[in-house]
Amino acid sequence: MIHSGICSLLGIRYPIFQGGMAWVSDASLAGAVSDAGGLGIISAMNANADYLRTEIRKLRQMTNMPFGVNIMLMSPFADEVAKVVAEERVPVVTTGAGLPSKYMKAWIECGIKVIPVVPSTGIAKMVERMGATAVIAEGGESGGHVGDLTTMTLVPQVCDAVRIPVLAAGGIADGRGIAAAFMLGASGVQCGTRFLVAKECTIHQNYKKRVLEAKDIDTMVTGKRLGHPVRALKNKFTKEFFNKEYDSSVSNEELEAFGVGALRRAAVEGDETTGSFLAGQAAAMVKKEQTAKEIIEEMFAEAEAVLNGARKWIK
Amino acid sequence: MTFEKVAKIIADFKEIDVSEITMQTTLNKDLGLDSLDTVELIMSFESEFGITLEPDASLQTIGDVVSMIDKETKK
Repeated sequence: MIHSGICSLLGIRYPIFQGGMAWVSDASLAGAVSDAGGLGIISAMNANADYLRTEIRKLRQMTNMPFGVNIMLMSPFADEVAKVVAEERVPVVTTGAGLPSKYMKAWIECGIKVIPVVPSTGIAKMVERMGATAVIAEGGESGGHVGDLTTMTLVPQVCDAVRIPVLAAGGIADGRGIAAAFMLGASGVQCGTRFLVAKECTIHQNYKKRVLEAKDIDTMVTGKRLGHPVRALKNKFTKEFFNKEYDSSVSNEELEAFGVGALRRAAVEGDETTGSFLAGQAAAMVKKEQTAKEIIEEMFAEAEAVLNGARKWIK
Repeated sequence: MTFEKVAKIIADFKEIDVSEITMQTTLNKDLGLDSLDTVELIMSFESEFGITLEPDASLQTIGDVVSMIDKETKK
């Protein structure tokens, strides 16, 4: 059995987080992951306080296990959802897209463990100083918002930069990835793409189908010009976005407007031409729909076998 | 004095001429800095001024940076 400091710290059985994905990570998926022994995370995405409160309460009906909420700091509702997690005494908060400085003190005071997603050693050091419990070092192999560094290079550097536990994210979709993350110094992992096809994941079946059919070269990054690059599966939408991005006659405002609603069209409507199907480079490694419990148990059984076999390299 | 030091650090970081930076210059729109760049710069300011800073979203302009540093150095 694989057990690390992050398990004892958070009271979870397996050192795995399910990433907070907008329009994907609702109570149904997060509750299933937490119930299976990982840390399920509800995405607060760009939704308001009422949405988040409802999802938190739904999850609590499903399981008594610890869970988290991911707050996207660029959300127009960031202030109000930041209050909800404190009022609801959510055990863990992960953050993305910026520095959570403004909220850290209040969250820590009410006992919340804050675990920011970090794309650089500088940001990792800064949030450690602010009182973060751990950090998630996410490489650019991941789906959704991406940084420049890869998981292979970012994770060991973040591990050297901070004393708090580090979780690795980006490109991890099986037990080999988990084993590698531990070898890089991480004490846990966060996975998103693999959980897209969990049976409890409520996204449109077309989204799951796209992930299951994806090949290794099927994702691309768009949005660099706007300062927040995003990785998604290639389709008509991403290709059009890419062309507009390199067309100087298209203003940034027009480009932003073109992207509005694309995540919802993918996840809720399954619209294969105008939806943005966010997924990481590991999509091609995701082969079948399984329950969250099956996914976690399979990944950790694989990781254990890989780690047990690692001695063969030492002569 | 704070402004001159801040402007020099930013000019070096961005590889631009220091004369392009004023108190009204914005971090995001004018200089194109993202949160990673901002944190790197904050760390440079910390070692330059021997202080600890807590950056947040209220930092919009060079003027904001200068007043945050001045507030900390007076402590």
